Amino acid sequence: MAVQYIEAKNVNLTFTPPNRMPVTALQGFDVAVGEGEFVSIVGPSGCGKSTFLNVLLGLIKPNSGEMAINGNPVSGPGRDRAMVFQEFGLLPWRTVLDNIGLAPELRGVGKRQRRALCQSFIDMVGLSGFEAHYPHELSGGMKQRVGIARALVSDPDVLLMDEPFAALDAQTRDIMQAELLRIWQEAKKTVLFVTHQIEEAVYLSDRVIVMTKRPGRTKTIIDIPLKRPRDYEMRVTPEFNELKLRIWNELKDEIDTQGGPQL
Amino acid sequence: MNANETPAVEISERSFYDRYESLILGTTFIVLVLVIWQLVPSVFTLSKGMKLFFATPTMVVGALGDLIESGKIWPAVQFSATAFGVGLGLSIIVALPAGVILGRSQLINDMVDPFITSINATPRLVFLPLILIWFGIGMWSVIVVVFIGAVFPLLINTYEGVKNADKLLINVVKSYGATEWEINKLVVLPNSMPFIIAGLRLAIGRAVLGVVVAEFFGGSSKGIGVIMVRASGTFQVDVVFAGLIMFMAISLVLTGIVRAIEARFSRWRPQETKNY
Ligand SMILES: Nc1ncnc2c1ncn2[C@@H]1O[C@H](COP(=O)(O)OP(=O)(O)O)[C@@H](O)[C@H]1O
Ligand SMILES: [Mg+2]
Repeated sequence: MAVQYIEAKNVNLTFTPPNRMPVTALQGFDVAVGEGEFVSIVGPSGCGKSTFLNVLLGLIKPNSGEMAINGNPVSGPGRDRAMVFQEFGLLPWRTVLDNIGLAPELRGVGKRQRRALCQSFIDMVGLSGFEAHYPHELSGGMKQRVGIARALVSDPDVLLMDEPFAALDAQTRDIMQAELLRIWQEAKKTVLFVTHQIEEAVYLSDRVIVMTKRPGRTKTIIDIPLKRPRDYEMRVTPEFNELKLRIWNELKDEIDTQGGPQL
Repeated sequence: MNANETPAVEISERSFYDRYESLILGTTFIVLVLVIWQLVPSVFTLSKGMKLFFATPTMVVGALGDLIESGKIWPAVQFSATAFGVGLGLSIIVALPAGVILGRSQLINDMVDPFITSINATPRLVFLPLILIWFGIGMWSVIVVVFIGAVFPLLINTYEGVKNADKLLINVVKSYGATEWEINKLVVLPNSMPFIIAGLRLAIGRAVLGVVVAEFFGGSSKGIGVIMVRASGTFQVDVVFAGLIMFMAISLVLTGIVRAIEARFSRWRPQETKNY
């Protein structure tokens, strides 16, 4: 197999919280994503999806395993990666513009240049006119638009997204999914997208990685051969539903139904 | 669309009373208390001894006027204010960085926590004899008493705020390569601002108390507190009250300053509205 753009091999990670039982979140986890590909990870709640993204982002050190982006080993946060967080992670005391300009600010880019740099991304995510707003003045969907713009401004090669639309209502979610596809095509990034919603994974992805329950490993990888650009109608085609069913069949054995359904 | 449009309209719609409600109520109450106080001697007949110890608001204002006119008060005010300012300033310079370091480093926190907790639990007055021996009677003793009083509430509050800083936001800036210094500047400090302001409030109270205590209990031979103690020795109740009013006025001004700081740092917050 050719060298992949994102490559994680045999990643193991055990949390050892003080005064509590150790938790093995990842065990022998492998991921390979090609350049420009959109890959989703689905898995039961608590199987280690967020943990893996944080490891790849460079915020958590795994106990063992190899990870590389475009051949460069991951050893900490880096400019080649940016994350979009489920709970948005906007700094509430900063305006939209200053939230989006965070990465260039940390790189030492001056105020005026930063503004110019941010503007095209503000336009891209449809937030023109809201530059001076504070996060509490925005709806959930708009907050995540800020989150996406902030990640894109740092000009990463890889966009990591941790259930970015899970906190949104159903309609906003549908809109944001379509928006994300548009932005992805425009910005040409490699995306690793975590979700627990099967339909979302099928709609967005080139491939879907199904994880086992904790400790998380790859169970199967399912190709999504649906043509692009994709539209909303595609979601009611038999092909689409067949893919959903296949993923569901893989996933259902992993879900602990004792505490009620988790999907 | 303009962000400022909506609130501006709301404000102009509020009536004069609505806008200044707390101010009007507060002033009314103070005026009421003063009037009742002033009327006490004309309503009750006070015994001779009681009369000696009683001063009406007009007498107090007179004494205050005398102190200001004779110029006797200014060196005292200057002394007390300097001791207060330097002591509080030092406590801020020490408490903020120390609070951040303690809140961010579990190791250092484990090391010094018992020490801080035990000193904080001790009434600061017990240090006074020691301070007098080490620093002598004068400005530095008062400064040190102020410092010891003010530094702990500020330190402990800063520490609490820092420890509770939003982990997600810290991760966000970290993921963009922020250094520890940048994490503190961009997330930890703004995030702990409500705690720090509350600490500052407490610290100012303790600092004023420190000036009073140090000056009352022989820490210096100057200052407003000293004037009060001397006046009380000669039963000049109106002068004692005048000193008290000076302290109250200072505290009031300082509270106003803290409010202004607080407003400066919470401009981004949702406007609070009365919902009743
Ligand atoms: N910092 C941590 N300390 C201890 N345990 C953790 C920590 N972070 C995550 N875990 C545990 O690791 C497991 C995987 O968590 P996570 O990656 O958040 O799951 P999810 O797949 O739902 O995103 C969970 O059981 C969680 O409780
Ligand atoms: Mg998660």
